[in-house]
Amino acid sequence: MKQIDLHKLSGFPKNKMGKILGYDNDYLKMPNKIIEMGLLPETIFRILYQAPFNGPMYVEFGEEKSRIALREEEGEYIIVEELN
Amino acid sequence: MQEHKKKQVLLVGNPNVGKSTVFNALCNKKQKTGNYAGVTVASHSGNYTYKNEEVEVIDLPGSYSVYPSSEDEAIFSKFLIDEQKNYEGVIYILEALSLKRGLLLFQQIQDLGIPMILVVNQIDQAARRGISIDIQKFSDALGIKIIQTNAKEQIGIEEIKEAVLKDGFKKADKISFETPNEHKDFIQKIAAHKGLDNEYKAWMSLSLGSELGRIESIKDLLNQPDSKSLVPKRLQVQETVRRYQSVDKILANVISKKAQFKELLTEKLDKVLVHKFWGYVVFLLILLIIFQSVFFLAEYPMNWIEDSFSWLAAFTGKHLPEGPVNSLVSSGIIPGIGGIVVFAPQIGILLYFLYLLEDSGYMARVVFLMDRLLRPFGLNGKSIVPLVSGTACAIPAVISTRNIENVKERLLTILVTPFMTCSARLPVYSIIIGLIISDGSFLGIKYKALVLMGMYLLGFLVALFSAAVLKRFIKNKEKTYLVMDLPTYKKPLFGYDLKMVLGKVWDFITGAGKIIFIVSIIVWFLSYFGPKQNPNQLVATNVELDHSYLAKMGKGIEPLIEPLGYDWKMGVGILTSFVAREVFVGTMSTLYSLDDDAPEVKVIDKMRRDVKPDGEKVFSFATGISVLLFYAFAMQCVSTLAVVYRETKSWKWTGFQVVMMTGLAYFVSLIAYQILK
Repeated sequence: MKQIDLHKLSGFPKNKMGKILGYDNDYLKMPNKIIEMGLLPETIFRILYQAPFNGPMYVEFGEEKSRIALREEEGEYIIVEELN
Repeated sequence: MQEHKKKQVLLVGNPNVGKSTVFNALCNKKQKTGNYAGVTVASHSGNYTYKNEEVEVIDLPGSYSVYPSSEDEAIFSKFLIDEQKNYEGVIYILEALSLKRGLLLFQQIQDLGIPMILVVNQIDQAARRGISIDIQKFSDALGIKIIQTNAKEQIGIEEIKEAVLKDGFKKADKISFETPNEHKDFIQKIAAHKGLDNEYKAWMSLSLGSELGRIESIKDLLNQPDSKSLVPKRLQVQETVRRYQSVDKILANVISKKAQFKELLTEKLDKVLVHKFWGYVVFLLILLIIFQSVFFLAEYPMNWIEDSFSWLAAFTGKHLPEGPVNSLVSSGIIPGIGGIVVFAPQIGILLYFLYLLEDSGYMARVVFLMDRLLRPFGLNGKSIVPLVSGTACAIPAVISTRNIENVKERLLTILVTPFMTCSARLPVYSIIIGLIISDGSFLGIKYKALVLMGMYLLGFLVALFSAAVLKRFIKNKEKTYLVMDLPTYKKPLFGYDLKMVLGKVWDFITGAGKIIFIVSIIVWFLSYFGPKQNPNQLVATNVELDHSYLAKMGKGIEPLIEPLGYDWKMGVGILTSFVAREVFVGTMSTLYSLDDDAPEVKVIDKMRRDVKPDGEKVFSFATGISVLLFYAFAMQCVSTLAVVYRETKSWKWTGFQVVMMTGLAYFVSLIAYQILK
């Protein structure tokens, strides 16, 4: 079984509230769009859906409940924690 | 017209904030249709006159930041920065539902010292979500007057016009982005060196990196020790994070939110539309409905058009003086043009559906659903939009690849999109299928319809397959990614989209009409004249078709096309349709109407009866299949080539595409004919 890493956005359980803590050390390789679209530290989010075969994730985030699609690979850059 | 007096203003904002709606509301009456399908990709302009002042509105592609990450965003940034002398100011559209994201770009533009008018659109939508915005406080915090609009209801549009008239564009008093201390000295050095009036411009010229061309004159400065830490990307990230922090502070004072329990439409719809299973079912259903409508709904207008052209042909045939001109007009040009106009309803319906889907926000969901499935072929989820649009026309489809960030994925999409069955292939397919496929049906579906569906499927599969092959040959280390906004669903602009579609269809008719007109005349001339038959003649006139220049040309290429099962007439048809596929129909109409003693017989019947010297039918099953395959694969469209060159800026890839597609077409047709004959 694949070890689920709760500390990255990819692999974060669906429909649970989480908070973005920051980015991976490799963040300079991360697409700028992620930050430009507003996935910033301290942002509260929830993964609502994921396309089949580990396809893109559908993430709802922020005060304004923006929605964004991003792949698991992009999620690897984003460090998160689960909120209870 | 006094062009220079026209005021030019830019319409700017994030994608999906209702820019098109505002544009449409502003320029409702005088609309220039210079745009292409893919609402968000190409820039277009329109005019309006308000209190005797003429204004040109340029609708730029939506963007999230001045730092571009795709071709359409690069177009936006380049225009915004390079054309500053020519335009009066920027009308910036903020959507009330996503103020935060919109303010990032707004403040960047403000800091560049560009005069702006700020518009907040769809405040009613925000209210429905329990969000109230204190406009007065908001305006004070941003240092700019705010115009509230609900563009769909035409509310606030007058105010925008008034503001433009009274030069309400306003520059910011101060720069909202403070240069980080660690870079301050260096930035000031650059600003001084380049004579910039504003620190942010200096900062941006560094942060842009190579994307819009770092300015040559600061190269020497960059080698100094204090510039070592200046990685453009890091600067961009630093800027974005800082800006968002300040935006958060502003918004905290401006927005108040009530708890809201009501589930919104977008949330409800997405439960089904992006569902692991039902999402795909719905997408397939939508495609099915589109194609059903294209073929069945279009039948009625098509019949009317067909009847009108037959009547016109008969009328001119009867009333024009007997002779070659009569046959040229009544059996060449009119049926040729009619053969194209008849497809206008199908093209129109297809385009209309595509516009509506894009407009409503659904296309982004399709990208979400398809991304994982397209990746093994070297494509991106965003490639689905060009691929689907390619079923209408490859030209807008190729242009709509501009929002694919990764260069390799974009190139692959451009290279394979012309394999999709575009509407110009329809006239050819219909004629050939009509000639070689019988009228029977299978499970209630006509054979003819099945074959046509097969051709669509074939185009799609070959596009995927060739992408999978080509991806091995295109080198690119750039990372591929998908980071895409999923907009709220909106009711599409039915009227606006219809207007756009009608414009497109008209362009298609006049464009194709002109080509067919010219080609028909050339074909007619070449068939009317022939090599001299006695020494006294310069050329022979009114020759038998078999002795004409045209026949000579066609017969010249016969050795090349005979193995595919084509006679010289089809050879001429194929040669002429390298200009555009649909020309085949016009050429055939002209050729067959010239070569007969029974003018009242329909062209298609003449084609059906035509036999080779050995008595075999010219349009046999094997030949027909071979023609179908040739038209499915060959690159026969000068306009698409021109667009591919413009978008790739590479003769190498454009040439490669012609050779690859046409080579494949020849090869496959050859094999098919040789097996089936």
